[in-house]
Amino acid sequence: MSLSMKRSIMGTVVALAVGWTGLMPAMAADYPTKPITMLIGYKAGGQTDLVGRATARVMSEQLGVPINVVNKPGAGGAVAAAGLQREDADGYTIMFHANSVINTAPFLMKRVIFKPEDFEYAGMITAYQAGLVTQKDAPFNNLAEFVTWAKANPGFSYGSLSPASRMTMDQISQKEGLDVNIVPLKGGGDMINAILGKQVILALSGGIHNNYPDEMKMISALTTFRHPSAPDVNTIEENGYPIGMDTRTVLILPKGTPREILDQLADALKAAETDEGFKKIVATANVPIMYFDVDASYKEMQDSYTSNGAIMKNAGIEPK
Amino acid sequence: MDYLITGFSHVLNPITILWVTVGVTLGYVLGALPGLGKATGVAVAIPMTFYLDPVTAIAMLIGIAKGSGAGSAVSAILLNTPGEPSSAPTALDGYPLARQGKAQKALKMGLFASVIGDFISTLVLIVLAAPLARYALLIGPIELCAILLFSLTFIGGLAGKSLIKGLIAAAFGVFFATVGLETETFIPRLTFDILELDSGISLVPMAIGMLAIAEMIVQAGNMKKLDAETANMYSKGRKKEDNIVTASDWRRSLPAIFRGTLIGSIVGILPGLGASVGSFLSYGATKKASKTPEKFGTGMIEGIAAAESADNAVVPSSFIPLFALGIPGSVIAAILIAAFVLHGLTPGPQMFQKQPQMVADIYAAMLCASVILLAVGYAGQRLFSQIIRVPIRLIIPGVMFLCCIGAYMETSSVFSIYVMLFFTVIGFIARKLDFSFVTFLIGFVIGPNLELTFRQAIQILDQKAINLIHHPIAIIFIILTMVTVVWIARGSGSSKRAAKAAEVDKQTKTNKEGET
Repeated sequence: MSLSMKRSIMGTVVALAVGWTGLMPAMAADYPTKPITMLIGYKAGGQTDLVGRATARVMSEQLGVPINVVNKPGAGGAVAAAGLQREDADGYTIMFHANSVINTAPFLMKRVIFKPEDFEYAGMITAYQAGLVTQKDAPFNNLAEFVTWAKANPGFSYGSLSPASRMTMDQISQKEGLDVNIVPLKGGGDMINAILGKQVILALSGGIHNNYPDEMKMISALTTFRHPSAPDVNTIEENGYPIGMDTRTVLILPKGTPREILDQLADALKAAETDEGFKKIVATANVPIMYFDVDASYKEMQDSYTSNGAIMKNAGIEPK
Repeated sequence: MDYLITGFSHVLNPITILWVTVGVTLGYVLGALPGLGKATGVAVAIPMTFYLDPVTAIAMLIGIAKGSGAGSAVSAILLNTPGEPSSAPTALDGYPLARQGKAQKALKMGLFASVIGDFISTLVLIVLAAPLARYALLIGPIELCAILLFSLTFIGGLAGKSLIKGLIAAAFGVFFATVGLETETFIPRLTFDILELDSGISLVPMAIGMLAIAEMIVQAGNMKKLDAETANMYSKGRKKEDNIVTASDWRRSLPAIFRGTLIGSIVGILPGLGASVGSFLSYGATKKASKTPEKFGTGMIEGIAAAESADNAVVPSSFIPLFALGIPGSVIAAILIAAFVLHGLTPGPQMFQKQPQMVADIYAAMLCASVILLAVGYAGQRLFSQIIRVPIRLIIPGVMFLCCIGAYMETSSVFSIYVMLFFTVIGFIARKLDFSFVTFLIGFVIGPNLELTFRQAIQILDQKAINLIHHPIAIIFIILTMVTVVWIARGSGSSKRAAKAAEVDKQTKTNKEGET
């Protein structure tokens, strides 16, 4: 009772606050005049957090105001995104996150009901290089060779980090009739352990395998584009499975943020593309820079939301 | 070796030493304040590291980790409010010692044990990082599952007075650990549609509620008695040996320190165990090895030595998988990855080949941090030990305030404070009914990994138990678990009789409320 009461009181306070600022004229021309808060929906120290902080530094230089990074972890960013929706659409609260919180999470989690049009976007900056990885000395080098090997070795182990990675293997094994043991893994560190320790023969990597060129190799890229760090490896779509899904880091803003502010932020973001410090950090982390402006990122959100939804529906995945 | 000597020459300059000292001091002070700890320290430090050179930044973060590990013993001993769950076993004997007027002795022992454990474990890291990490990879989910099962049984059976109550508390801990999205399928469990619960119940606010706030409530109900005790403590005149670690204390504690260092170093290398498991295992092992196990919990100096040496030995050895393989073995290690990348270093097997000097510099900085920790801690314990003179009514509000800040800071949301309050209630009830909140915490910490490794093991074994024969390490630990159950079940009968005898002995019965 007390919780729901507090909720409703807080809701009233927020509503009042929104109403109050709503009375003031939007001063987009002066933007920004005060520090900007950047939400990151992961704990401090992860790769997205790192790229986010590096981005904040570049943008802060461009805009001339401090950008304070606040980590608000929970539900893969859904907690932070839900919080962002309650903020004023004045450009002073922005969120840096993987766009999967909007284009994938709603298909996996019943309580996440975001749609691309619920937010504004001020550009995308980096992409994740997800792929299927194995040990360097594994007896196969591409997906076709893997399928041949897997047919000869029923009961092999595949490491899965999420419903999407389980779906990837399900699609392959159903089509090819493979007998697979799916081993659940918790995050990238667990995945490295499982591959280097030879607990599993194949696993989905979100891109961290690039740090282990002597120990791991990728046999198929799970994105719609070939990876800049491994241009010779086919994508999963080239392999004949139409299940490529892209994840990018994006600047998310509350619905209704004025277009001038979005453009200003996107311009500041674009500066990261050529910033030496930023380039060095993302190169070390093996994250490719792929800048999208305001219109391109809105289109990318819409397109990827539609195509991811179709892939999930086709695979029979229901939000839980 | 040459690299290491050059490393020292790089590190031993005023600027680097200054920042390492800042890190150690910050960690120590935050660790010593109830409710605040590593998590807070790192949150404060991350933005700062952007502006430092790589070695200095990383050394400062490591300094925070080391400092907070040692500092958390301070609040455990003085106020019975461990700064981190891993210092909870320190409080079991440290707090009774403090109430006997031997606070400085307890604090010094805690500090020495911390520094020795930390220093030896750092040496292990330097000498053995690469080969050990390779070997640790052989410990897969199947072996880990068996080790976790053994740890849970061993700790559950030893921490409380009753095996049944201990195991019930551990089971509740595991139960609360299941809240949140299932790791791989993302199916929400017991979240009641509260989005904040999707990533599970966070350890920090929960531990603060159970360990610190619940304890403060108990002490508030006991205020007059505690203040009378304090007054009495200082009126009867003090002996010098109550303030120092005597030769006989050393004799009793050294075996415990080395055992703790060994246990802590091993626990640190293995994924998914953590400092709490290390310190509890070490405390339990020392209690089992002692000739007078029934006296533990009444102010045994070797109890502090065992817990603190293991607690701090975990920190450097948890960097072994990080340095050698790029796998974070602890929360601090995960943060360090970001610091590495930020400064152009890719943690992992290539780091040793591409940047051997950088690695050696960090090693040198870590050894310096150990020495600095000794100095900072020695100065700090003098200052902090005065807290025990402060009337408890002045302490409680301050602790409560710090706890709220500590809980809030981890997620920047008020929800964490609700979590903290919820577990305050549970912690209070557990204390009153004499259920071990310590085993509850261990169950909570181990629970998710126990479940995950069990599921992984089933899949890797191809769902056939017979395949276990290829995993001798796992079989050894399964047998050890069974032996432990029988051993504890048999021992609990005799220890009950011993406990009854102790009840009669009124003198040892000081302040029963505070301990478990």
